[in-house]
Amino acid sequence: MSAKGVLVRVSTYAALIVMALATLFPLLWVTSIAFMRAPERFAGTPPLWPDHPTLVNMVNIVHQQRIGYYFLNSLIVAAATTPLSVLVAGLAGYALAQAKFRAHRLVSWIVMFAVLVPNQALVLPLFEMFSAVHLINHYAALILPAAANAVSIVLIQAYARGIPADVLDAARIDGASEWRTFFSVVVPLMAPMLAAVAVLTFVVSWNDFMWPMIAMQKVDMQTLPVALASIDREHYQNIGLMAAGATVAILPMMFVFLASQRYYLRAVSAGSLTD
Amino acid sequence: MARLELQRVSKLLANRQVVLQDIDCTVNDGELISVVGPSGCGKSTLLRCVAGLDKITSGDIRIGGQRVNDLPPQQRNVAMVFQNHALYPHMTVYQNLAFGLRVRRVARAIVDARVRRTAVRLGLEALLGRYPRELSGGQRQRTALGRAMLREPGVFLLDEPLSSLDIPLRAEMRRELSALHTALGTTMVYVTHDQSEALSLGQRVVVLADGQIQQIDTPDGIYKEPSNRFVAGFVGWPPMNFLDGDWLENSGLDAHCIDYGIRPERLLLQPSSSADAFIAGRLERIESFGGEWQVEISRNGSRVIARVAPNPELRRDNELRLWFRREDLYAFDRATGRRLQG
Repeated sequence: MSAKGVLVRVSTYAALIVMALATLFPLLWVTSIAFMRAPERFAGTPPLWPDHPTLVNMVNIVHQQRIGYYFLNSLIVAAATTPLSVLVAGLAGYALAQAKFRAHRLVSWIVMFAVLVPNQALVLPLFEMFSAVHLINHYAALILPAAANAVSIVLIQAYARGIPADVLDAARIDGASEWRTFFSVVVPLMAPMLAAVAVLTFVVSWNDFMWPMIAMQKVDMQTLPVALASIDREHYQNIGLMAAGATVAILPMMFVFLASQRYYLRAVSAGSLTD
Repeated sequence: MARLELQRVSKLLANRQVVLQDIDCTVNDGELISVVGPSGCGKSTLLRCVAGLDKITSGDIRIGGQRVNDLPPQQRNVAMVFQNHALYPHMTVYQNLAFGLRVRRVARAIVDARVRRTAVRLGLEALLGRYPRELSGGQRQRTALGRAMLREPGVFLLDEPLSSLDIPLRAEMRRELSALHTALGTTMVYVTHDQSEALSLGQRVVVLADGQIQQIDTPDGIYKEPSNRFVAGFVGWPPMNFLDGDWLENSGLDAHCIDYGIRPERLLLQPSSSADAFIAGRLERIESFGGEWQVEISRNGSRVIARVAPNPELRRDNELRLWFRREDLYAFDRATGRRLQG
């Protein structure tokens, strides 16, 4: 390797390490705070490492704050939203990419436009709609609006354009119905992008705050981020409790990312779909 | 096996552009017919219409006597081999072969037996566990053929199946295809832009241009008795010479509203008792193909090519006479392009 090549490689790694540290540092710090005793916590800025690690915050967050309850709410919502949203976006994205129908351009434009609408702008009309059908304080209030996500549809549409039309025609001539073609040929070919969309959907659902706060007014129905925010309001000086809640909230996402990173990376680096 | 009938089949695009016009053609049961034409002539569209992938605007398509105009592809009893093979990239060779039977809910044991039998026939038995990306071009082609064969369709549609292969492999696959047709006895429609492929494979040949059938005949008939100037010029290599301009000025032939053409192999270096007419021009180029030379003469900017036996006496830039028999000339109406007989 030339001297220049070495330099490029070293600086690439240096930049990546800096970025990785910048991303990981807050996570590690929060996790570290979650295991600190009270005196350490109150001494101004918390130290980076607990002198006397303890589980007291964890025990409190589970017992006093019933975090398991909110965790379960979040899990139910995210676990229901993810497959539903992937199915809807998969079907819609594939149809927009490959099917020929009259209003094709119009529908594509509407979906593109929907990407540009901020979620905050939807809160009021959503609340009116879900109040009207008495679904406020139901899981459905969080699951249904997330089931059709314009960003997911656009991502899958772009990916599905790469499926060779001949392969789809071959499936039709082989005798497959449109549904069979979709599930036996299209879904396996789009698997990397579907996995990526699934991860994104799960993360967005898990982290969502504004709409769940408004739609879930009963404390019993609150999701984890909303519940954590109210811990912050009630125990504003108890930073250890907050950190413990945040640490628990991170775990499922870490699991989802680790389990799916193989597919996820393949989709992000957008491989070709040809044989 | 089935007979395929096309009756006044037309296809127009949304913008009224004509892709196919009044196609009338019958492919007999067990016949291999090739469809040839320049790119954009509508030959692939014709195949897609028969397969049911494209809708026709008017006319009728019958397969085995049944009108199939409104049937989806899966109900038409056809199989198709695509130009780029169109194998399912995420399935192994075995799964690719089995897919058509599996979606038709054929019992697993029967599927397995048929897949293995076909694989043996096509020399794919060692490759059943491989994915398409792990196959060579020829192996992919055989897999695509096998996938179509397994279904035992009434009509076999092939859309330029050899065009993505390199030339030696193409010749080999052409022989295999021909043998396969003999063995299977299935009705086949073979679309190609390569006229030599069309002539060598087809029992009959359909020449298509601008969405219209120019001629349907045996390969010999197409070559020897082209029905119009287009067919005459399209079929044969090097193409037929058209003696436009003043090539025939002292031959006594009426070149007024008639175009004359002659095949390159019908031009001779020496006169004979029957070959007593000639054209003359400057020898521009000699191209050797080993046992045969192609010589090109020009006159006032117009060129004529002849296929002749190697002759070391030929010199470039000399005046050269090429002799022919008058009955070897083809005459075409200049206005319509139609062949004039006699």
